[in-house]
Amino acid sequence: MAQKYELKSKEVWDGNMAAAHALRQAQVDVVAAYPITPSTPIVQNYAQFLADGYVDGEFVMVESEHSAMSACVGAAAAGGRVATATSSQGYALMVEVLYQASGMRLPIVMTVVNRALASPLNIHGDHSDLYLGRDAGWIHLIANNPQEAYDMTLCAFKIAEDERVRLPVTTNQDGFLVSHTAQVVKPLQDEDAYKFIGEYKPLNPMLDTKNPVTYGAQTEEEWHFEHKANQHKALMDSPAVIKEVFDEFEKISGRKYNLVETYKLDDADIALVLMGSAYETAILAVDKAREEGIKVGLLMPRVFRPFPYNEVAEKLKNVKAVAALDRSAPMGTTGALYNEVAGALAANGQSAIMTNYIYGLGGRDTTVEHILDVIKETNENAKAGKRVTDLQGFINLRGPKLSFN
Amino acid sequence: MLQIRWHSRAGQGAVTGAKALADVMARTGKYVQAYSVYGAEKRGAPMTAYDKIDDKPILDHSKWMIPDYVLVIDPSLVFQEEIVENTTDDTVFIVTSHLDKDDLLAMAKHLQGKKVYVIDAIKISQEEIGRAIPNTPMLGAFIKVSEIIPFEDFLVSIEDILSKFPKKIIEGNLRAIKRAYEEVK
Amino acid sequence: MATPKEMLTTWDKVQFGAVLPSFEDPEHKKRSKFHSYNYSVADWRVEKPVFNRDLCIDCDFCWVSCPDSCFIVEEVVNKRGKKQAKIVGINYNLCKGCGVCVEVCPTPIKSLLMFPEYVDNDEALKQWPKKD
Ligand code: SF4
Ligand code: SF4
Repeated sequence: MAQKYELKSKEVWDGNMAAAHALRQAQVDVVAAYPITPSTPIVQNYAQFLADGYVDGEFVMVESEHSAMSACVGAAAAGGRVATATSSQGYALMVEVLYQASGMRLPIVMTVVNRALASPLNIHGDHSDLYLGRDAGWIHLIANNPQEAYDMTLCAFKIAEDERVRLPVTTNQDGFLVSHTAQVVKPLQDEDAYKFIGEYKPLNPMLDTKNPVTYGAQTEEEWHFEHKANQHKALMDSPAVIKEVFDEFEKISGRKYNLVETYKLDDADIALVLMGSAYETAILAVDKAREEGIKVGLLMPRVFRPFPYNEVAEKLKNVKAVAALDRSAPMGTTGALYNEVAGALAANGQSAIMTNYIYGLGGRDTTVEHILDVIKETNENAKAGKRVTDLQGFINLRGPKLSFN
Repeated sequence: MLQIRWHSRAGQGAVTGAKALADVMARTGKYVQAYSVYGAEKRGAPMTAYDKIDDKPILDHSKWMIPDYVLVIDPSLVFQEEIVENTTDDTVFIVTSHLDKDDLLAMAKHLQGKKVYVIDAIKISQEEIGRAIPNTPMLGAFIKVSEIIPFEDFLVSIEDILSKFPKKIIEGNLRAIKRAYEEVK
Repeated sequence: MATPKEMLTTWDKVQFGAVLPSFEDPEHKKRSKFHSYNYSVADWRVEKPVFNRDLCIDCDFCWVSCPDSCFIVEEVVNKRGKKQAKIVGINYNLCKGCGVCVEVCPTPIKSLLMFPEYVDNDEALKQWPKKD
């Protein structure tokens, strides 16, 4: 039996330590990983917990991220609770197997520390890897600080393993800005955390030799569409379970999470939509803007997939202008968050003026002042009743102004 | 919000120092952030680490700050002008050097007119811990200069934070902290 | 190959995660519709493997390699007192004629060889190559 880890009611953890403790408390059966910056300490801390007797499960070091996710798929199909961690290039190498995991409905939890994708090489935070996994059939949860990295990872197991869902889940935290920033975290005690997640219930385990099953069957045109539609429906239906899990988590932790988080949106004329640590920085910008009389609010999809488009549209129904901020190179179009929000509004016949901003690529600093500038530009659109600013702008980019219309 | 910037070389323990200070302050009920600005650098490259300490949760995730304190734990970095960037006349500098304050200011002109305290954290760590890891003595000097919490309380917390290390290391660090607390000028 | 019409289900009834069980009732070994037993591909066969008991050393390579579980085996105790699977024959209702078993058979003169469908097995055994 794993030893109990003595935890104080308040710990000072960075996001990596927070995620590692959540994996430990979930008593994962198999962690297979190939460490990569900035998520390395998740794997490293977990290995230390194992060496120190705080973990009963297996820890498998493999030779690449492709193998890491493959080992996870194998272990999950065999019938165990499985988790891993990765970032950036490692995430990219896993992509093929991410689709396998979701298609086989294996409830693997992956704690992702978001980082830019090369080239040029960069170890710092942006959402390139998250966007890369967007269509992989996983549920993607967003954490803005170490506390949320811990909370979301615990919730991830419960969501993934629910028999109504049975889909893999990633938890996302910004590289360095969250993963390497130590903040106050209020952890649950080991037994409370484990009780919340519950015992793992295997479904169609391959190791049940009395009942042999085939994983990874081939389906050509006469089957593939039906299977993919079925999988998509599972994702589309998962918000009900996600809400339940968030509610249950609130009961034991006092911390409330929602499909869509908002800040001062109720009476707002304009709104900013963004995800990740910059959402919290933006809270300070909103407070400053309101001192100057600009009625601005914030919105963040806590769940990036399945995208809560109806909730987003509902929350934004009274605003006149919306700026969507994407932390990933859009490469040839408007950013993904812009597209999602624009689609959500259009589907509901809403016509807020929409603009897109690209920020923070490769860990570029985004300050309260930068976000305040965006708020002011967005307010210009609201006042004019039409778009008077550029469609796509860039925040804190050196050089002559770059924008697109 | 109290904001602190550390200047160090990778491997001198600024990140650990910043996290230890955050841990100490969190135990007094404060909210904290401790982070550092990493490059792809290796041991010896100049780097910065940061502490933010406040009575309410800290939401600002930008790296930029106007520090109230600048802690320089490498003697050669004292001479680099980056250490005064984004500081004000009220910013307090605690720097490590074997020179006394007047000799130091004569050479490091960018520090003239600033509030400067000097501590030879390298020598203290070498003599008391046996290695040039000047982070804990810098914390002793910082507690003396800032009076942010009573020194006795600080010692209790830091001893607990260091408790994962062997006894010899803990004792060396505590001696180094106490010496720096006395010797900072 | 085309799936028989009666097997085509709709999106809401497909097998969860495309995970296919071998048995409908594992307790009583009642085979599921996905079991190769109930999903015969024998009509794909243009050549058949013939088994020569006289040459076989019971290495079981063919048994484990056959993709359609065609080999009929008998549990026996070998000279060293260990349990072993003795190859008895081939179930032609399952065999698709892929030839994998012939490929893996290690005896100097193969104990399995492919013959045209119309050649009688006894006739095939008479035609078997001899040592020179
Ligand atoms: S030919 Fe292929 S299917 Fe037939 S028995 Fe040999 S291996 Fe099995
Ligand atoms: S592979 Fe050949 S020798 Fe081995 S068991 Fe099969 S028929 Fe006999």
